[in-house]
Amino acid sequence: MSEAKNIKFNIYNPIITYEHRAAYDMIVSHLQEIFPICNQGKCKALEVSDDPQKQKQINDLMEKVEFFSNSLITITKVFFDQLYRAKQTSSQSISQSTAMIKIDMIERNLLERTCDVRWWALEKAFWQCITLSNNSKGSGKGKATDSSSKALREAVELACTRLEDIRNSYTLYRDLVIADTNGVIIANSNADRRSKVIGMNVSKEEWFQRALETKDGTEYFVQDVSSSELEDMDALVYSTALRADGDEQGKVIGAMGVLFDFQGESQIILNDYLPKDANERTLEGWFSFFTNKEGKVICSSDENFIPSGEIADLPRNHRNLSSAGDVIVSTGVVCGNRSLIVSHKSKGFDEYKGLGWTSHLVLPESAMFERSMTNEDYGISPQELMNSKLIPERNQQTYREIQRNKGDIQLISINGIILATDLGKAGTSFIPIFDQITTTGNSTTGKMEELLSEMSSDMLEQNLKALENFSKQAIDLIDRNLFERAADVRWWSTDHAFWEALQEGTDEKFEQAAKRLGIINASYTMYRDLVIADSNGRIVANSKSENRDKLKRMNVSEQSWFRQGMQISRSVQFGVQDVCDSDLENEETSLIYCGGILEDGQREGKVLGVLGIFFDWENLVFPILEGCLPRIKGEVVDGGAAFYVNDEHKVIATTDSENFKIGQVVNLPAENLHLEAGESASGIFSANDKKYIIGSSRTQGYREYKGLGWTAHVVRPID
Amino acid sequence: MLYSTFYLGQTQMAVPIPCILEIGRSFKFHPVRGAPEVIDGLINLRGKVVTIVNLGLAFEESKIEPSDESRIFIFKNNSELKEVADSDAVMETAPDNIGIHVDRISDVIRVENEELQAVPANMVHPFYKHVVRRGDSFIIILEPSKILNLHETPDLLS
Repeated sequence: MSEAKNIKFNIYNPIITYEHRAAYDMIVSHLQEIFPICNQGKCKALEVSDDPQKQKQINDLMEKVEFFSNSLITITKVFFDQLYRAKQTSSQSISQSTAMIKIDMIERNLLERTCDVRWWALEKAFWQCITLSNNSKGSGKGKATDSSSKALREAVELACTRLEDIRNSYTLYRDLVIADTNGVIIANSNADRRSKVIGMNVSKEEWFQRALETKDGTEYFVQDVSSSELEDMDALVYSTALRADGDEQGKVIGAMGVLFDFQGESQIILNDYLPKDANERTLEGWFSFFTNKEGKVICSSDENFIPSGEIADLPRNHRNLSSAGDVIVSTGVVCGNRSLIVSHKSKGFDEYKGLGWTSHLVLPESAMFERSMTNEDYGISPQELMNSKLIPERNQQTYREIQRNKGDIQLISINGIILATDLGKAGTSFIPIFDQITTTGNSTTGKMEELLSEMSSDMLEQNLKALENFSKQAIDLIDRNLFERAADVRWWSTDHAFWEALQEGTDEKFEQAAKRLGIINASYTMYRDLVIADSNGRIVANSKSENRDKLKRMNVSEQSWFRQGMQISRSVQFGVQDVCDSDLENEETSLIYCGGILEDGQREGKVLGVLGIFFDWENLVFPILEGCLPRIKGEVVDGGAAFYVNDEHKVIATTDSENFKIGQVVNLPAENLHLEAGESASGIFSANDKKYIIGSSRTQGYREYKGLGWTAHVVRPID
Repeated sequence: MLYSTFYLGQTQMAVPIPCILEIGRSFKFHPVRGAPEVIDGLINLRGKVVTIVNLGLAFEESKIEPSDESRIFIFKNNSELKEVADSDAVMETAPDNIGIHVDRISDVIRVENEELQAVPANMVHPFYKHVVRRGDSFIIILEPSKILNLHETPDLLS
């Protein structure tokens, strides 16, 4: 017990609860009572027997009892320290992953935005409109002719319509604008603000200037959250150049800026994972917010206490994390509360390097040590739990040491009683002494076992909560990703190359459509193929030339995605075929989204055919699941697994294809199987000769994507 | 009289305290080649050689393996038993010091003679001497001499 010298949580530390201090006092005072009893025993030994051997035996026993009592007093001090350290470590680890989840969630979203803006800038309606606008100014000597004015008006109208179409498909934007090289806004998507925005000059805004400086169509610029003439509130603007003829290498003719609804999106993310009271209000002292690289708050879960635009009231080292991916955890005073503060600096996501933002999570320090109030019975005994992998080794050692001391005191007492019995009537006076030793030993070790049991059930609760968080992260990430796919398919279905091909039905037009599909697929990495089927279910174009011959022979009229697509009459609609086998791909798991291609590219009208996009399921889902695996100090817990199940509880994606196979229905607790949309649950179950703890979350969808009834499960073995 | 109780599986049993020399944790047994399986081996107790009987095997049940909870009850031999002061009870153990290996120890109980009840006819066993009721449960009082003199129960030595 050398740890006794390195005690962090002394029993008089104010963080120790009243109940625990009372338990400590009770244990120590009972153990102290043993010493006078032992002295009494030693004196009695001299009284009742003249036999020096018997006297020595009794003396030895008394000294052993004193030794074990002393040892238990030391263990008690260390024990409370360990109890609080274990709770602190576990709580810090959960808080760290929560802070990380939040910044990861927003960065993944922002990566999608970078793809969007680059792709949209190639849209014909935009570069044609800017070209006409530039021409009309260039002709400059006199008045523009009526016909050119009319053409420009029509082009602006079309550009606005197409920008609106984007905004309707991707509901994450407050506005989208295009400007000529002078910085004059020519068209926008938000009809409510059109009269204010069109004609506005943004040439002094950084997003515009930097867009003009991009070298080719692969480059873009992100203007960090700041004020813009375009809006009344701070904006996060993505921009890129518009180029002549929509050529990625073409001459710069203007700029496109898209204003992401950063505050709305961040509010959803920041308010997630914060504990709420019965009225759904965040508990006192809990805050979550993002800061930019200057340490200014850019969005906050509580604008009253941590207002946006100001330097966060945090210790300096939390405001200035130096490297991407850095994490700092400390305690300090935030908004008047003694708090645990966790800060995690973003490292961006994938090719998006981020803007150097940091996610902060603040919670009351006392919350780390609160007792779990659930009192759920998970059908696991305290001993089993104490010996499980959830309990740190050193706590288990303490448990074993207490058990051993308890056993030793019991043995000493009974052997003392045996010795006293040998002394006959003279020895009877020893029996109450040994009885008292047994009683004291039992009550103190019993109390310690009770506290250990409390600790182990708290550890269980914390670990279950962590798994619930991971499962929620897993389902949220896939929902958000699939929302993007739903947005993609809706927007692409309106592409002129597709409706023109189906309307005219010529090989030349089909070839152009195929080329367009190829460009899309090259810009987005998450699709295996994109296909267009005509109204009879015949595939007329696809993105990958190597699949063309095979697909041309196929008829998809019986397939669910096609039939859903043919029911679509408005461009804001889409369909999705749940993960299943598909002969289109020779894949076990295909996930196909579809959009209706409508006559003349109208927002509402007759459907000419269907655009089907084949999501690259395994390659995209596996990293998401892997990122949600339970970890200890960055390493995945041995045997930890994450998997999605569909509405029929069949596994559709897994990180552990040996124990939780694709297509398998895993025998899980009913509470984890039958969840309502957006609900989470946790529990314990047995499978593969192991006992697992599990966290589960059912989809609640995200924006227009309503989810397919999937559930994410994250598990770890505990024995 | 005082009895020390212990468990064999789920069954609580007891032996008279005056018969016991000492109770200890599972010692390291020295196996004896050719000894019956019911014998765990020998131990050295302050110079005394003590044979340890595995009580699980003696009852023809599963073997008790040494664990943090398992204990050894070492019995006095017959001559040591006679030296117990003021004892008026007639007891017998064995000519040698013999120990029994049990699953786990429980508490010490005082049992008055009138509490001792005969073993019901349908559960008679050579090792059982009496039954004592404690609350809703029963404790079986063993006859140490029968367990310690296994040669008188030859089936167990095969």
